[in-house]
Amino acid sequence: MGETGDVWRGTLALMILKTLEALGPQHGYGIARRIEQTSGDRLVVHYGTLYPALLKLEQEGYISSDWGVSENNRRARFYTLTRAGRKELARESSEWVRTTEIVARFLDPERA
Amino acid sequence: MRRLRGWLIRALSPVCQLRSDADIDAELESHLELHVADNIRAGMPPDEARRRARLALGGFERTKDEYRDQRGLPVFDTIARDIRHAVRLLRKSPGFTLTAVAILGLGIGANAAIFSMVNAVVLRPLPFRDPSRILHIWHTPPPQQFPGVSRFAVSPANYLDWRAQSTAFEHLAIYGGRAANLTGRGEPDALQGIAVSGEFFDALGATPLVGRLLGPADDDIAHAHVVVLGERIWKTRFGSDPAIVGQSIALNGEPYTVVGVLPHDQRFPLRGDVWLPLAWTAEQRAVRGNHNYLVIGRLKPDADVARGQTELSTISQRLERQYPAYDKGWGALAVPLQQDLVRDARWGLLVLLGAVACVLLIACANLANLLLARVLGRSREIAIRAAVGASRMRIVQQLLVESTLLSVAGGGVGLIAASWGVRLIVKSFGDALPRAGEVTLDGRVLAFTCVMTIATGLLAGVAPAWRMTRGDAGDALKQGMGRGGSHAGEKRVRTALVTAEVALALILLVGAGLLTRTLWKLHAVDPGIDPHNVVTMAVILPRVQYPKPEQRVRFADDMLRRVRALPGVASAATIDSLPVEGGGSTQPVAVEGEVPRPLSEQPEMAVRTITPGYVATVRMRVLEGRDFSDADRENRPLAVLVSAATARRFWGTASPIGKHLTLGLISDDPREVVGVVSDVKVHGLDASDVQAIYVPYAQAGGFGEMLLVRAAGAPMSVVPAVVGAIRSIEPGQPVVNIQTMDEVIGDSIAQQRFAMLLLSAFAALALVLAAIGIYGVLSYGVRQRVQEIGIRMALGAGATDVVHMILVDGLKPTVVGLVIGLAGSAALGQVLSTLVFGVTPHDVTTFAAVSILLFAVGLIASLVPAYRATRVDPLLALRAD
Repeated sequence: MGETGDVWRGTLALMILKTLEALGPQHGYGIARRIEQTSGDRLVVHYGTLYPALLKLEQEGYISSDWGVSENNRRARFYTLTRAGRKELARESSEWVRTTEIVARFLDPERA
Repeated sequence: MRRLRGWLIRALSPVCQLRSDADIDAELESHLELHVADNIRAGMPPDEARRRARLALGGFERTKDEYRDQRGLPVFDTIARDIRHAVRLLRKSPGFTLTAVAILGLGIGANAAIFSMVNAVVLRPLPFRDPSRILHIWHTPPPQQFPGVSRFAVSPANYLDWRAQSTAFEHLAIYGGRAANLTGRGEPDALQGIAVSGEFFDALGATPLVGRLLGPADDDIAHAHVVVLGERIWKTRFGSDPAIVGQSIALNGEPYTVVGVLPHDQRFPLRGDVWLPLAWTAEQRAVRGNHNYLVIGRLKPDADVARGQTELSTISQRLERQYPAYDKGWGALAVPLQQDLVRDARWGLLVLLGAVACVLLIACANLANLLLARVLGRSREIAIRAAVGASRMRIVQQLLVESTLLSVAGGGVGLIAASWGVRLIVKSFGDALPRAGEVTLDGRVLAFTCVMTIATGLLAGVAPAWRMTRGDAGDALKQGMGRGGSHAGEKRVRTALVTAEVALALILLVGAGLLTRTLWKLHAVDPGIDPHNVVTMAVILPRVQYPKPEQRVRFADDMLRRVRALPGVASAATIDSLPVEGGGSTQPVAVEGEVPRPLSEQPEMAVRTITPGYVATVRMRVLEGRDFSDADRENRPLAVLVSAATARRFWGTASPIGKHLTLGLISDDPREVVGVVSDVKVHGLDASDVQAIYVPYAQAGGFGEMLLVRAAGAPMSVVPAVVGAIRSIEPGQPVVNIQTMDEVIGDSIAQQRFAMLLLSAFAALALVLAAIGIYGVLSYGVRQRVQEIGIRMALGAGATDVVHMILVDGLKPTVVGLVIGLAGSAALGQVLSTLVFGVTPHDVTTFAAVSILLFAVGLIASLVPAYRATRVDPLLALRAD
């Protein structure tokens, strides 16, 4: 991955779920900005992948959405984590932690 | 689970959507606004803020597209779009569409029709309980006496021993034909009765339509006057009246109580009209050397065919040791009933199925060629689509959707064609096929047709689609409109398709040719009799009214005297079973002077019982000695006639006149050979065995149910008078199976004719399709090469050169296809060998004739486009583009 890389496929869903858990209901723009900020602006979220990813999560029932009003009084679609989404987030996070741990051991056997 | 839910929602998107288009627009719009506001807050001027925000969103429209794609399943969406597109295109060229649908309709229809026959005859299980457990059990006769015969009827005593000693069967039942003359209700009728042992219907697992079927309690001489009616007879003779159960009907002049009705589809054997108890006497049960019955068995649930077979073989070996005089060399053969019923039809049907598959492949190749031509004509359109970002998969998908759409339309047409094709086939050839009445288009046929239709569409679409994915978009764009991609590669594909068509068509033509030759040969076979102007009918005397041979002989004398006296009748006689038709008695023969052998080791041959006058009626010739006369009667010396082949076999070149032989099944008395008659095809036109012995009716117990009448003119015209003469002796006497002898001979080769006609029809279809294929490819080639032809002509090429050039193009694939087809036919010859007679499957004449035919058709199909090429105007051709 370069200095400012694309979000990996598959990890975007996890980042969206985590962001919604941290911020509560949030619109697409807010989610994107938050992900970019959290990565220290090292990631760029392509909106062409963000919105399909949000819709996919909604189709799978991990998030729900509704129109609301933003902090500066603009109409926007707000996404909310569902119960299934919380469970999925917990599952995915622990899975991710385990995976990175294993990969890290491979890369740096000394530390093990 | 969640993923499945996601798919489901996407699949349902055409009916209910999570996001409307307006929703998507609004959301992306608000996204933009939020971003712009942010940028302004960060200190950018408004214009710059908006520009940056738009940039960050990427291509606005593209984002929208990707967002939309996630709503549904893109494949479904695009397929729906492709179908609409394809329908539009196909409607724009109705000529092409109709041709393609017609070609496919014929191909698919022929397949559906033949498959529905295979389905009914071979695949569909018999309509009985657990049909796979029902076995047909045969004797296997000693091979030295019955060379080539693998299945033989069973004798009562052997059956009873099998039944007593075997453990693998739940039921083991025996049945045989028994005349059942129905009288007392309208026109007397000779019904085909089936006499069955008590367990017969349990072994079959049949269920009655009305009343009950026969059981063990009925199989007893004391209670045997009960009958089960077949559904057909119940309908035609008794008006489907359920109250018939319990009533009495007259069979063979005796009262029988009807106990039930057997459904038509469960009738077994197929020829049966009514079913009666067998009710053997003790004397009949003891018969071991006379094989007149057939056996069925129902396996126990834990037994299989192999166990049943092993057990019966073991028992039969024991019987051989126990009763060597009768049973030496007689084994047992157990075959699943269904397999047994269709064994003859099976090969023919599979050959036909192969033939229609060939037709469909040719249709596929044709459609592929037509599509290829169309696709190449559209290569600019396709190149443009590729240039604006359509993926290869999308283009392939579009082409496959188009071809599948055509094949689905063809499948619809095909089903309609098949439904009346089947009706036509059953009507014309029903008698040549077992279970033909059950041929219908059922669920399995529909499923088969659907699968075949889709496969056809994909197969036909693959070549053009494959061709397109290899095309270079830029290349096509550079070329002139509608003329893109005329590469060597494309020509190769088209030529290969035509070559395949020619090869397949040739194989079919060879098959049809061989069967046609077979039929010619069969027609050319001299049956040994003169069938013209002879009419035959069955006059079956009820044994109850005529128990003694003398009574039957007196009846025959009386009948023949009255019939011969009728105007228009030249001569008349009886025989026990008709020549050529097949079937009839074969009996062991012992010749005087040879070492005496038991019946089971004596050679067997056809023995026919005839009245004096038979030889003259069918116009056989007396080669030596004398014919029978009215003097050959009960109390006179026993006499026989032998056929020339019989005389050669037993006495070589010496004269057999005055020699003696014994027919042990009739009596142990020696019979004197009084004459030698010419050979007759007693077992059928295709049988080489013509050995026969003729016995006078009066000296053989009065067996002779077939009356033959030679008329002076049209044979059918004497029938009413003949029937009247018979009824004047016995008013209730049925006269049935009235047929001219010509018809009898014709029917004996019905199956070959059936196969020949169908195969010829398919071969003709294949020939037409192949011609269309060659013609289509060449005329397309000419259109493509108009410019080249124009240049050549401008440079001085004459019409002959142009014709030559196009002809070579057309005839090359034809000749290559011919060679491949000939090789294929030679390889497949073995498959046809069971169906041909009198020709080898590698008959040179047939191969040469069909090759010439196919070449001629290829030549004609090539000449038309070649001629058109000579009409090219060089000036116009060069100015085009």
